[in-house]
Amino acid sequence: MIKISNLEKIYRTEDVETVALNKVSFDVKEGEFVAIMGPSGCGKSTLLNILGLLDDPDGGSFVFAGQEVAHYNERKRAGLRKQHIGFVFQSFNLIDELTVYENVELPLLYLKVGADERKKRVEEVLEKMQIMHRKNHFPQQLSGGQQQRVAVARAVVNRPRLILADEPTGNLDSINGNEVMQMLTELNDAGTTVIMVTHSEHDARYSHRIVRMLDGQVVLENVMI
Amino acid sequence: MLKNYFKTAWRNLLNNKLFSFINIMGLALGMTCSLLIMLWVKDELAMDKFHANDSRLYRVMENQFFSGAISTFPSTPGIFAENVVKDIPEIQMASQFLWEEEPLFTVNDTFDKEKGRYVQKDFLKMFSFKLTKGDVATALARPDAVVLSKKLADKYFKGQDPMGKMIRIDNRENVIVTGVLDEIPKSSSLKFDFLMSFDLWAKQNTWAKDWGNNGPRCYVMLAPNTSLEKVNAKLKGYIKSKNKGSNVEVFLQNYGESYLYSNWEDGKPNGGRIEYVRIFSVVAIVILLIACINFMNLATARSLKRSREIGVRKVVGASKRQLIGQFIGESLLVSFMAMGAALLIVLFILPSFNALTDKQLALNFGDASFWSTIILLTLLTGIISGSYPALFMSSLKPIVVLKGALKINPSAAFFRKALVVFQFSLSIILILGMIVVYRQIDFIHNKNLGFAREDLLFIPLEGELAKNFPTFKQELLKQPGIKNVTSASSSPLEVGSSTQGVTWPGKDTTKLILFSSNPISYDYINTMGIQLVNGRDFSNGYGTDTLNYLVNEAAARKIGYKDPVGKELTMWGDKGTIIGVMKDFHHNSLHVPIEPLILRLVKKDWGYGSFVIIRSEAGKTKQALASMEKMVKQFNPGFPFRYNFTDQEISKTYKTEFTVNKLSRYFAFLAIFISCLGLFGLVTFTAEQRTKEIGVRKVLGASVPGILAMLSKDFLRLVLIAIVIASPLAWWAMHKWLQDFAYRIDIGWSVFVIADFAAIAIAMLTVSFQAVKAARANPVKSLRTE
Ligand SMILES: Nc1ncnc2c1ncn2[C@@H]1O[C@H](COP(=O)(O)OP(=O)(O)OP(=O)(O)O)[C@@H](O)[C@H]1O
Ligand SMILES: [Mg+2]
Repeated sequence: MIKISNLEKIYRTEDVETVALNKVSFDVKEGEFVAIMGPSGCGKSTLLNILGLLDDPDGGSFVFAGQEVAHYNERKRAGLRKQHIGFVFQSFNLIDELTVYENVELPLLYLKVGADERKKRVEEVLEKMQIMHRKNHFPQQLSGGQQQRVAVARAVVNRPRLILADEPTGNLDSINGNEVMQMLTELNDAGTTVIMVTHSEHDARYSHRIVRMLDGQVVLENVMI
Repeated sequence: MLKNYFKTAWRNLLNNKLFSFINIMGLALGMTCSLLIMLWVKDELAMDKFHANDSRLYRVMENQFFSGAISTFPSTPGIFAENVVKDIPEIQMASQFLWEEEPLFTVNDTFDKEKGRYVQKDFLKMFSFKLTKGDVATALARPDAVVLSKKLADKYFKGQDPMGKMIRIDNRENVIVTGVLDEIPKSSSLKFDFLMSFDLWAKQNTWAKDWGNNGPRCYVMLAPNTSLEKVNAKLKGYIKSKNKGSNVEVFLQNYGESYLYSNWEDGKPNGGRIEYVRIFSVVAIVILLIACINFMNLATARSLKRSREIGVRKVVGASKRQLIGQFIGESLLVSFMAMGAALLIVLFILPSFNALTDKQLALNFGDASFWSTIILLTLLTGIISGSYPALFMSSLKPIVVLKGALKINPSAAFFRKALVVFQFSLSIILILGMIVVYRQIDFIHNKNLGFAREDLLFIPLEGELAKNFPTFKQELLKQPGIKNVTSASSSPLEVGSSTQGVTWPGKDTTKLILFSSNPISYDYINTMGIQLVNGRDFSNGYGTDTLNYLVNEAAARKIGYKDPVGKELTMWGDKGTIIGVMKDFHHNSLHVPIEPLILRLVKKDWGYGSFVIIRSEAGKTKQALASMEKMVKQFNPGFPFRYNFTDQEISKTYKTEFTVNKLSRYFAFLAIFISCLGLFGLVTFTAEQRTKEIGVRKVLGASVPGILAMLSKDFLRLVLIAIVIASPLAWWAMHKWLQDFAYRIDIGWSVFVIADFAAIAIAMLTVSFQAVKAARANPVKSLRTE
């Protein structure tokens, strides 16, 4: 489903050039659960953002679902993103002015899903994430774990083929963290491809495969049994 | 989706009440100002345009060539109209039109002076003034016809049909009511309570029948599809063809345009009220722009707070265009709310605005074009103020904003600063303008006119008074409160008539020189309080003073005598002597320079002039008025007692300037207020942004004044830059405005000092209000919030 080769990303500021990704290559197959690990600053988030079509690479090739997307413009990337990709962040990133329900509904609005269908899907996913009873609350009225569940609900409500998670458990205690990992696993079991960045060996064990990075390069891939 | 946008926008407004208030209030005030000005401008532009024959109606203008200069007046010989329709076939109709007269109307026991116009028979056919009774085609046909306003019809013929009834005019003539006027539209600059036949007036004023004398206005209507150029070409030499020695040329100006374009220089149109229309239109746009800038500034500043929302929306698939739409939509929402508020404010202050501008403006809620204008204005405001924030916010990178590490984009910060500078420049220009206008008006108001305008009254010299003036004067002087009494042909406000009929030995006869002339009676100099620089006043003691002259310094210079007193001067064929030189005084408005003036005594058969001028004892105005009323009633029982205070009347001649003075004050205040609202918002925001920094600095030992200085410095610098930009622009604009006055103030440096100091002080006050709060905040608290 994903095939990247020799992917490069260089950040230039006035005086320093940081090579965040240095000729990174690997594949992810449909339905896989991949964890990316590595020390802070090694380029994990940078890679995830490129995979999520939030950022474009400076070199190399990126084939997503059979299309070369490395040089897609902003509009085309936004189109692919809303169709196929869901995001979960370390810092939940819910919109403060929208309720739980409205936050989850947002991707469907941008997909122009009809009202009835929208209601059905949002309620279904809220039910599944066990957050239905909080649907009219605003994000500040929720605990961190609840917020992350809303974030996951929002990531999956458009039934994406790929979920990208950047340290989804980073701001959570272990109980809430495990709950989130459980959800991701369930989604993966249902066929969704999951790529997750994490610092936790414990969380990484939920995945099928761990990609280890160092200084912008992939140094090791271990396959879990 | 719209619902989602709306919810987000609405909750954002509610969650940030201060910013929302500043935004909406700023825009509402700007819109209020624009709406008022738009109403005024629309009204001005519509003036005199309602006549069905608008495009064919013209005013006859006359260029008079004197001393190498061209003066342009709307005056013609009184026999112009009747001749020109016969001589020039393209002119289908023509009517003389007299200045406002105030004859005495008497019907049985009811009598009063009424204001109206003397016109000719086709007047009502040319102009669309409607009649409720009578026929426009024939109402003015007979020379003794009078057409009354409804008001006068009710006043003199309450409960009766006025048609065919008789009215006695000036206790001299009888006229017959032949029509009743419908209400004169508000958009007519011509207002009158009656129309009477010009012939009636001309009977008493035979001078008007001479081709060499100019006075009455004349309006003409061209035949359909006539070329103006062709008619103007025929008119150019028309008066000369009737009067060999004439040095005047006539031409036509469209009647509908004459209201706005009334000033002429060198024979060419040179503005008029249109200048105020232009100035105020610019002011409206400027103030609205200032308000829009508040919105832009606050919205971009606040984009930091909304960056997460923007990031999330982008991540879940919002395109840039959708985000631009969303944010423009939000600013439209604010704009519509502001317009609602603005309409309320306008409704509330329209009565005062009408009083100030002497108009009857109204919000025309039933009118589709009104609503479309309102909606257009709202959309425009929303789009202008929303465009930059929308572009700015929609181009934020999601990965950057979601990382939460959005730094203040230097280019956005620069843009925001530029906006503040722009805003303050405009405000400072308005403040400077306001001060200059104020000073000029003050200057006019208090300028030494060369005569004592206080305690100086004048009343019309009419009826029996005109015959018995010397006795009246004697009797009046015996009454309490009266100091001096004289009479003159012109009021103290304006010496209207001028003549070329002045000669002296050694005069260059190739040059035409125009002298203002004012025949007067004894004691004029004393009563008016004019200074003599040389010679003596007219006096009873000298038998032959009727052939002597007083000249002002300007006239003395024109004549060229080194020592004029005792030298020969001939006026209208009367050879006499100059007996004195008056120090120049303003015998006309300050819009024009002091012209050469010759005073002479009225001759026996001229009567005593048109005005009695009276000086009351200082502080005894009440007694003086009572004395005057008593004596006027005694001498002139058939006339109502009317009087004028010279100083008040002078003020009235500057009505436009006074209005501009007041308006400019309000607008300048509004502009600076709106700018400060924006500044206040920005400072609040900056302080909010830097709470943590301030906290850290305080923990490390920074003092409150130090932090205050840190927060204020940036804003102060912006205001200083604005001053540098605004000062030359304001100087240039005000210099141009002052050119309209022959006597004007210098724009000294002190104006700039005051305006700049005011701008800095106001800005600093605004900034420090929030900055002090931020600087004094407990650092422990502010650090804990992180
Ligand atoms: N916008 C940017 N401008 C300049 N340099 C950047 C930018 N974003 C990231 N970098 C640099 O690129 C490198 C990779 O950053 P990245 O955020 O991908 O690391 P990471 O592996 O996700 O680290 P962490 O585990 O701390 O989240 C770092 O050295 C970082 O300093
Ligand atoms: Mg990271």
